[in-house]
Amino acid sequence: MSTAAIPSNELVRFGKFFLDELKPRGKWITPFNVISIPVILLGLVILYFRFTQGLGSVTNLSQQYPFGFWIGFDVMTGVALAGGAYVLCFVVYVLRLEKYHSILKVTILNGLLAYVFYSGALVLDLGRPWHIINPIIGNSFGYNSVLFLVAWHFLLYTGALFLEFSPTIAEWAHWEKLRKFLTSLTLGTVIVGITLSMLHQSGIGAMFLMAKPKIHPLWYSEYIPLLYFVSSIFGGLAMVIFEGTISSKVFSNLIGAKTHHSHEDVILGLGKGAAITMFVYYFFLAFIFMHGEKWKLLNGPWGYWYLVEVIGFVLIPCFMFAYGVRNRRFGVIRVAAIMTVLGVILNRQNVCLIAYNWYVPNKYYPSWEEIVVTLTVVFVEVWVFRWVVTRMSVFSKE
Amino acid sequence: MEYYSYVNIFETKGLAYLLLLSFLVLGVLLIRYLSGPERKDPGPAKKDRAAHG
Repeated sequence: MSTAAIPSNELVRFGKFFLDELKPRGKWITPFNVISIPVILLGLVILYFRFTQGLGSVTNLSQQYPFGFWIGFDVMTGVALAGGAYVLCFVVYVLRLEKYHSILKVTILNGLLAYVFYSGALVLDLGRPWHIINPIIGNSFGYNSVLFLVAWHFLLYTGALFLEFSPTIAEWAHWEKLRKFLTSLTLGTVIVGITLSMLHQSGIGAMFLMAKPKIHPLWYSEYIPLLYFVSSIFGGLAMVIFEGTISSKVFSNLIGAKTHHSHEDVILGLGKGAAITMFVYYFFLAFIFMHGEKWKLLNGPWGYWYLVEVIGFVLIPCFMFAYGVRNRRFGVIRVAAIMTVLGVILNRQNVCLIAYNWYVPNKYYPSWEEIVVTLTVVFVEVWVFRWVVTRMSVFSKE
Repeated sequence: MEYYSYVNIFETKGLAYLLLLSFLVLGVLLIRYLSGPERKDPGPAKKDRAAHG
């Protein structure tokens, strides 16, 4: 089924329907709107200067620090925390654990928006953004580079996520035949999506393999692709718990009673998965640490900072997840999820910002403009998410 | 005459092997802990307020 098969009067109907759906619903004066609208407007002004006067006008980036807060937060962290989509697709479509089906659509939507906005934020990050198309068209690009793989995977996986979510869009637009056709593609798309995800989550880590002299030895390892992949699993699961908690409060009127009731079971299952993968991750960290004989590096500020990350934001949340699941303490699980998300953010910031060029006296600190633009990207994503879930059948109505 | 010398596990990979074994044992214990008989629901008083979230 293609759009060409849709008669023109149907397109006119959809055009009117879409314009009608664009009209705002609900109250305008809400705490989120009051905070987000000024930030977004300020972010747009900063972006105007970024595109007219260059990166140097609004960021503290330099030749020594080509990776700044935008890359570190948007691309490195955003993509890792979007890992919940491929993990849940694997759990539902491959392992056939149906109890997670009720949160699948909203998780895929979160993943799709994260990839569109965070990998899309590369356009802001790159000094010459018009070159972003080069890996896709093969123009003067190193086909053996990790970045080539990551660029293609970002594009293909975003397409795969869109296809996975497209039956919901077709249902919203009342295109029943198209919805059935798109639904028939789901399983194949999911398998392709999972494969792509596993490769590019580790591929993002593999990009740092060439920066061995620049990254502090406590954070550098030949196994960094494996660490990035495993941390994207529990980071994604923690993000699903965190987002699910907020969504089920903010959009409680859109969620069916049965789904509300089964939400506790879902959280317990996700918490259990997070505890086990964090334990495996901690084992890898400890093994790499021993294998690299890094004991002497622990004695000093960098060592203490490393311990804060691996004990405070990996080991402790791992135990909290296990305790919370065993004793059905949902508050503990949610706090552990927040700590885990913070831990993934901290790890990515450590690798690409804080412990990067660690020996340089003049450290990089993000400018306020960089922080405002990052908040703008996050807020716009939340706006789009809110628009979609209040119009399409994203939450289970059962 | 032969002399005995003790192996320094910090200089060999002995510590790494010990770590591997201990993590395997701890991993089994963790799975058993997580899969153990479900504790009774602590009830609404003890349960966190956010449980229905």
